[in-house]
Amino acid sequence: MYRRSFGLLLLAGCLFVPRLQAQIKHIEMRVEGMT
Amino acid sequence: MKQHLQRQSGVANVDVSLIDGKVEVTPKEDGQIDPAQLLKATYDSGVSVAELDMTATGKVVKDSTGDFVLQVSPNHSFVLVQSDSAKGLEPLADSSTTITARGQLYKKSGGKQKKADVPTSLKLLILEVQKKE
Repeated sequence: MYRRSFGLLLLAGCLFVPRLQAQIKHIEMRVEGMT
Repeated sequence: MKQHLQRQSGVANVDVSLIDGKVEVTPKEDGQIDPAQLLKATYDSGVSVAELDMTATGKVVKDSTGDFVLQVSPNHSFVLVQSDSAKGLEPLADSSTTITARGQLYKKSGGKQKKADVPTSLKLLILEVQKKE
């Protein structure tokens, strides 16, 4: 019983902990003029 | 140019500052954006790019050729240019550590750049590691 409750708690915790998601966050270009 | 870039896949917003020649691109929530495609799209719209920087979150991985790469999605990674900053990240290779780093993906070489010269695969020169988790 306790083991099941602990498992559910752990699962819920995993869902709500903010994770650092792999992705591109921002792109910046410096442009010069017409080609 | 702004409209052309906004039509590219994965682009949420484009801000252009004419005074200092800066173009800021905000990716969509999923971050599935291709910087090489943006670079090409900018040249296609008739504007020359001097430099392209990126901030990304991902894992350092050693690929099959022995190069260290920053993997930003399962099918998108950037080979790291050898530098002191990149060397500092090598011990993190294939670990569960996720990093957020700012780096340079493209810098225009001297002389007039033609569309055909725009590279299709970009290497990442790490400028700053902002977060390790």
